[in-house]
Amino acid sequence: MIELTREDFLYQIPLLILAVSGVMLILLEAFTEGNRRDFLMSLSVAGCVGALLSSIVLFRSIGDESIELFGGMLVADRLAYVLTGLFAGATALSAMLTADHQRTHRWEVGELYGLMLIATAGASLLSMAGSLVTIFLGVEMMSIAIYDFMAARRGSRPGTEAAMKYFLMGAFSSGFLAYGIALLYGATGTFDISSIAAFAAENPSDPLLVVGALVLVVALAFKVGAVPFHMWAPDTYEGAPTPLSGFLASVAKAAGFIAAVRIFAEAFGGDVMPFGRLGWASVFAALAAITMTVGNLAALRQERIKRMLAYSSIAHAGTILVGLVAVGVGAGDGAMAAVVYYLIAYSLTTIGAFGVVSWIGSRDKERLRIDDWSGLAVSHPLAALVMTVFLLSLGGIPPLAGFFGKFYVFSQAVSAYDQQLLWLVVIAVLNSILSLFYYLRVVMAMYFREPEGAFTPMRSPATVIALGLCAFFVVKMGVLPGGWMSIAGG
Amino acid sequence: MSDIFFHITISHFLILAAVLFAIGMVGVLVRRNALIVMMSIEIMLTAGILTILAFARLHGDMGGHAFALVLIAIAAAEAAVGLAIIVAVFRSKRHVDLERLHHLRD
Amino acid sequence: MIPRSGYSAIAALCGAVLVFFLAPGAAAAAESGPPAPPPGAPEGALGNTAAVALLFWVLALATVAGAVFVITRRNMVAGVMGLVFTFFAVAVLYAMLYAHFLAVLQVLVYAGAIMVLFVFVIMILNKPEDEPWALTGLVGKAIAGLALLYFLMRLGGVLWGVREKPAASGAELSPGGTIQSGDFGSLAEVGRVLFSDYVFAFEAIALILLSAVVGAITIARPGSGSSSQDADEGAAVGDGERAPDA
Repeated sequence: MIELTREDFLYQIPLLILAVSGVMLILLEAFTEGNRRDFLMSLSVAGCVGALLSSIVLFRSIGDESIELFGGMLVADRLAYVLTGLFAGATALSAMLTADHQRTHRWEVGELYGLMLIATAGASLLSMAGSLVTIFLGVEMMSIAIYDFMAARRGSRPGTEAAMKYFLMGAFSSGFLAYGIALLYGATGTFDISSIAAFAAENPSDPLLVVGALVLVVALAFKVGAVPFHMWAPDTYEGAPTPLSGFLASVAKAAGFIAAVRIFAEAFGGDVMPFGRLGWASVFAALAAITMTVGNLAALRQERIKRMLAYSSIAHAGTILVGLVAVGVGAGDGAMAAVVYYLIAYSLTTIGAFGVVSWIGSRDKERLRIDDWSGLAVSHPLAALVMTVFLLSLGGIPPLAGFFGKFYVFSQAVSAYDQQLLWLVVIAVLNSILSLFYYLRVVMAMYFREPEGAFTPMRSPATVIALGLCAFFVVKMGVLPGGWMSIAGG
Repeated sequence: MSDIFFHITISHFLILAAVLFAIGMVGVLVRRNALIVMMSIEIMLTAGILTILAFARLHGDMGGHAFALVLIAIAAAEAAVGLAIIVAVFRSKRHVDLERLHHLRD
Repeated sequence: MIPRSGYSAIAALCGAVLVFFLAPGAAAAAESGPPAPPPGAPEGALGNTAAVALLFWVLALATVAGAVFVITRRNMVAGVMGLVFTFFAVAVLYAMLYAHFLAVLQVLVYAGAIMVLFVFVIMILNKPEDEPWALTGLVGKAIAGLALLYFLMRLGGVLWGVREKPAASGAELSPGGTIQSGDFGSLAEVGRVLFSDYVFAFEAIALILLSAVVGAITIARPGSGSSSQDADEGAAVGDGERAPDA
């Protein structure tokens, strides 16, 4: 029997703010009349900012402690608050971009903002997960809300098709998640991650544990879009409303990775899993190598920009997996911090890149083909500059956030495990160089080709503010990476 | 040998659940109709619940029952959303055949 | 005029109802001994008699047959009936594992509510299926099938080995197993555990159900979504072929 204390509620305030403001927004939407889009959007941004601020306060006060809430269902530590802050901030940016997409493309779905906050609450639940039950609840809370707002744009044929593909793959992976959790429960007799860790340390080669972990790898690979389980991602990102593709590629993907961290790094820390010499990390290493290569090769062939960004986000998932491998072979806190830094940098950049795509497109011409971007720099130099910043950051060009993300992850992976991960890092670096080709293709089109027809980007303060914030942080994280690295835990 | 048939153990339930899981997975991989794919996913979730309950019995732990309850509730939520999406797709395309959904592809 | 698949559907439903009403009686008859679950009893501890074995094999056959029926039928109504059949049989299996409350829920929520939802949607769709099997990507599917087969054999071996676990003999309970014999799986025990250790899960499910309900209404509402909306993305993505620039 557990006793609930004041701390149980105090330490989950960011989560409570997200959930409560999500429910409030749904109620407000239901009981008010007229055009409330901007009103609801600002309220959802306010909720996210509240969650972000409370995460910062709790992050500062908690120190290096790790506190169990609700009898171990939730764990409050610095990692949880960093990720919760990231999710809240990213959701605020996506909400600002979505409002303008709704206005330009005339689709009014007010429930969207409440559902976005509930999805963020699910992601934040994953970052605090201390039990496999919480992992499942977090994944489902996030996924079900995302299914809802992906399909919410009624009458959009690519939109509903994208929602259906995302739903079927998501539900399929939930089946794997449930079965994997069942097997781990069978091996250990508990859902609590710290108890499972204790069991795994004593019986590292329990066959049930190994099979259960493998099934969970499949489930989480679906969620983060790692390569043999990535086929839903390009279709979904392409068909969804553009700012929501950005949300999916940043918040949902980062949440999948934090779930993987909570399960694999904390329950099976070190080299307890008998998958070859590297423990569970060898499975992740293979996934990482395939994911990066396939993602980049497919992105090279794309003519349409959202699809190109989708394959690029698959490739980035591979790079983050390299970081997880470094965590898995015992590189410790430094590698964990590198992964967190990468997640922050990648999320802000991706939201920004999808945001520019949404900004440039008007209702009549969405500018979704790369050729459509010819000569943007002539008519809209600022938009072209911001997009260039995001693309170069994704490609890993020095003074930007993406470069230091890759730098930290690769240097941790090289030094970990007696440099035996060198082969993986070589593949990752080659892939980074490969990826520059398709990012630079867009930059070349924007700067060095003649414009075809006039651009009519939407004029709106919210989009400009959101993109400005993204670009500011991408540059700032690149110019002054040290402070961000210490936030990430390094 | 007759022990396998007449002496029912937890393993019998577990293997039955694994077979159900596999059938559900095959259904998802080979069927084209979105509704049947959803039904196959429900079979997979049921296999998960059966596994959990068998292990709960093995460990004598009621936590498994609580999680099984969570699974049933979430399966219901997922089915509601999924069927709504299928209806929405049917409205715009007049079919729910996954092979003929080619608005988005390479 | 009932089509041929209609008959099989009706037969499946009758079978499901029959199994559900007969099986608990058989289970009760089989468990004439004290229902004390884990401690004391020999390995497996399911109150083993020939009747239990017979019941298990009948139910196992019914479950698998129903599931295979679902993934092979062309007619969707027949598929749903197969699924209902599976769910009824699985509910009885839950009862054999002393999960009586979950067995009731399985019938009420799964076989009742969810399946009715499926039937309604099938009525809305009202389309017989033309080609059941997806034959594209056959190579990938064959690889997936072989991987599945290999995985199943490994998994089967592991699961069969569970018999030998110390806990399977009931001699010792794992940490956290605080139940008294006899209460295991009762409604009171489920309630106790759900509102103490798992109270957070209970609260979280409330939020999930809320978002599911709101979302289902939002998606399925035949609203103001004008059909011209797909003009923009439809043109850019190309409806089957690449559309020329608008």
